[in-house]
Amino acid sequence: MDLNDGDLIRRIVEDGDQRAYAQLVRRYQSQLRFSLRQLCDGDQALADDMAQEAFIKAYKALPAFRGDARFSTWLYRIAYNLVMSHRRKNAPEVDQEAVDRAQAQETVEEAQQLGMARDLDTAMQELSEPQRQAIHLCMQRGFSHEEAASIMKLPLGTVKSHVNRARAKLQTLLQAWREEVVSG
Amino acid sequence: MDKFDRDPQNRGQGFGTLSEAQLRNSDPDFDAWLGQQLQFSEPYLDDDGFCDGVMERLPAPTRRSEKRVTHTQYAAVVLASAIVAWQFPFAEVVSQAASQSISLYSLLGLGVLSSVAAMFGGIVAARR
Repeated sequence: MDLNDGDLIRRIVEDGDQRAYAQLVRRYQSQLRFSLRQLCDGDQALADDMAQEAFIKAYKALPAFRGDARFSTWLYRIAYNLVMSHRRKNAPEVDQEAVDRAQAQETVEEAQQLGMARDLDTAMQELSEPQRQAIHLCMQRGFSHEEAASIMKLPLGTVKSHVNRARAKLQTLLQAWREEVVSG
Repeated sequence: MDKFDRDPQNRGQGFGTLSEAQLRNSDPDFDAWLGQQLQFSEPYLDDDGFCDGVMERLPAPTRRSEKRVTHTQYAAVVLASAIVAWQFPFAEVVSQAASQSISLYSLLGLGVLSSVAAMFGGIVAARR
């Protein structure tokens, strides 16, 4: 039976049920790792380490989780904080080998993808990093502007502006695909 | 062929100068389409031992919560046994046994043994 996040969290906090936490990890691991890979410039190993760290930190802090926000928002906030503080500490260090490996792997995968996905990816690369993150959180992950603002630690107006600008850019860049869809 | 528009002419004089009208112009159809495309292009990342890695590094659960779980399990088993005992027609069985000329002591021993076995099994199952 699939319990919702709230029930699982209650089991973890009240009964120390680690299996319930495993269920939460399985539920969010793919999305969080994928998001962090984008934040870590394609360094998959670093992104996975950060995701693992975020899950462990979230587990330890779970008794303090008041449920004001969704668990996923809270988890993303922890993960984004970890990546940002890692970046501040290791600013110029990117595991170039890991990035190259990931990109080589992506090239093979991309060749199998539809043109739309490839173009979308290219269009996303045209956005500034905050714009990319804001679009990713709001339109791909379904977070509200308020939730995205709390994850990114930015004022709400700034996030809205990032989303609007990114949306306008993507609309221009992907016009041809859109027209094809509309014209059938 | 890719339909990605790389021509700066078609980008509204570059991104830095998108008009306010363009920025405010929120097209719900486009939003829905974009959201769909973003989700479609996202691969599912296999767990690949990730979850196990997290679980191995978690601190052990506190003794208090372990004790609480154990007490709950014992209470559940005792309650279940009490309900079974309450519903079991002991008098009928005893009178049947007497009429079948089975030794009362053997019957009592058998009953106690099976109750202990059932309770022990229940506790082991609950703890698992």
